[in-house]
Amino acid sequence: MGIAPATKDDDLVTITGLTREFSSGGGFLRPRRTMRAVNDVSLDVPRGKVTGVVGESGCGKSTLARLVLRLLEATTGTVEFDGKDLAAQSQGEMRKLRRQMQMVFQDPYSAIDPRYTIRRALLEPFQVQGEAQTAAEAKATVDELISMVGLSPRMMESFPHQLSGGQKQRVGIARALALRPTFLVLDEPTASLDVSIQAQIIDLLESLKEELGLTYLFISHDLSLVRYFCDRVVVMYLGRVMEILPGAEARPRHHYAHALLDSNFEPDPARRKVVTMLGGEIPSPFATIPGCAFAARCPAASELCKRERPPLADLGNGHMIACHHPMD
Amino acid sequence: MALLSVQSISVSIGQLNPLEGVTFDIDKREILGLVGESGSGKSLTAMCVMGLLPRIGGTITNGSIIFDGRELIGLPEIELRRLRGKRIALISQNPMTSLDPIIPIGAQIDQVSTLHLGLSPEAAKARSLDLIAQLRIPEPAAIHRAYPHQLSGGMKQRIVIAMALAADPDLIVADEPTTALDVTIQAQIIQIMVELVRDRSLALMLITHDMGVVAQACDRVVVLYAGRVAEMNTVGEVFANPKHPYTRELIRCIPRLGQEPGSLKGIPGAVPSIVDYPDGCRFNPRCSEAQEICRGQVPALERKSSGIAACHFSEV
Repeated sequence: MGIAPATKDDDLVTITGLTREFSSGGGFLRPRRTMRAVNDVSLDVPRGKVTGVVGESGCGKSTLARLVLRLLEATTGTVEFDGKDLAAQSQGEMRKLRRQMQMVFQDPYSAIDPRYTIRRALLEPFQVQGEAQTAAEAKATVDELISMVGLSPRMMESFPHQLSGGQKQRVGIARALALRPTFLVLDEPTASLDVSIQAQIIDLLESLKEELGLTYLFISHDLSLVRYFCDRVVVMYLGRVMEILPGAEARPRHHYAHALLDSNFEPDPARRKVVTMLGGEIPSPFATIPGCAFAARCPAASELCKRERPPLADLGNGHMIACHHPMD
Repeated sequence: MALLSVQSISVSIGQLNPLEGVTFDIDKREILGLVGESGSGKSLTAMCVMGLLPRIGGTITNGSIIFDGRELIGLPEIELRRLRGKRIALISQNPMTSLDPIIPIGAQIDQVSTLHLGLSPEAAKARSLDLIAQLRIPEPAAIHRAYPHQLSGGMKQRIVIAMALAADPDLIVADEPTTALDVTIQAQIIQIMVELVRDRSLALMLITHDMGVVAQACDRVVVLYAGRVAEMNTVGEVFANPKHPYTRELIRCIPRLGQEPGSLKGIPGAVPSIVDYPDGCRFNPRCSEAQEICRGQVPALERKSSGIAACHFSEV
């Protein structure tokens, strides 16, 4: 591992060579098996932008989200937040840093204590931080948060089960914003919502970002949403970054990224497509793959691809790709 | 005469009336999409067609369901059993609700054709192997011996489709068949289903909340909202020229390639709860065009310039 490059001013988060292993099994005559959920990922999250991470289940996107906030410890590699190496921070320092970095979860119901009223749920972050508030301050805080996410003040004394899915997710967002963070990790924040509500939440996240100058890391499996919402799109497969697209309009040149984006159906019957069938299945995460993770299914794979892992190379304009034989 | 014709069915479960006047029909070689958000009554409609409503304590209080010239409502359970699995097959969202975890996959597919077609065990096995191969599953013989837990989600869903096809049905009811799957797998399964419908002259009732899937696969579309039909039309008209404001708004909720940032708005409010349906048109509290009449009077489902819709204000 070389020396990590200094964080550029315009990058809020710099991820370098990040790897996380999990192991399972093991017993009499059976070795423990190790999988790399996130495998040597390097990535910058530019300030004030939305960086999207897409991939299919098991590609490591949620593990990456947790590593970035140090909710999980990395096996190797570093995450720098605003120039500070997270792994080097003590627990106390980490708690202070956490004020600036928050997470919005997929399932707002399990993210909020069902026995807490909305008011109490919104004040909980201040208790965790050991920040005393007078009754008047607490009221002002809750009022502000509630109106910021477009909820009615009547809901303050409600319990989560009395709210609809969309309202609960608004509470989840309000809670994440309570301590005035600069960075939000959004882990599939709309995956459990109906489309009409999903669009409301994305609209809310867009305006909050402008208003509060936030930086987002947006984890999703929904390609149309990612392409609409994100300034940059990171495509992951089996724990590795395959391609980083500099903008929604950029044409993917990695064979996997191409296949992934191509399997997205446009909501327009005039633009039906003939699906290119990818052969095979996603390999087991326990398999050790010396070369490109996609080689077994890739139409352009050569001997080199099976032998040697392609490095993430810059094509210019921030378009990065890990492929020995990129598409034209 | 359509293969399946559902005429104005209403359903009650206890005090609640989750479906009201649902009407549509499906022909052979046709894919009908049934779309709507959660609570719109999509799955319940599927249960009506399958004759499974009594299992959850529901009754059809009104209307008729005619399948191949025969009224299904009021048919004795023994008659329904002859239809279910043989002429009308169901594919559910989670393949594990259709597969028995402790029986090899092959045996489960074989069972369908021995039971419904009276095939010998050998003939049934040959048929199953053939079906597995048709669904583009590699190594059919190995898969025939495998147990469900040994397969991925996408493979399991293909096996469920093979089971549905085993007795050569006329109608397949697929309730969110790809919702639990990854996009690349979803694309493949949808493609396979479309080909099957065309090759085998099947009728497919495809229940989904995904407008992308609807646009890709369906011939005609029924849009449900809060237990009623908002509109029914050909897929081209539904997307290009929706007759109900709900349909129009729903389509706007899906981001398109190249859409301006900040232009995705969603539909204000939320789908009403069944215990609290508004009077008149059930979409009126969220509709930007709602007038007094929408709040007071239920719009009838009527013929428009194309298709049918239930809106006081869409052109006639």
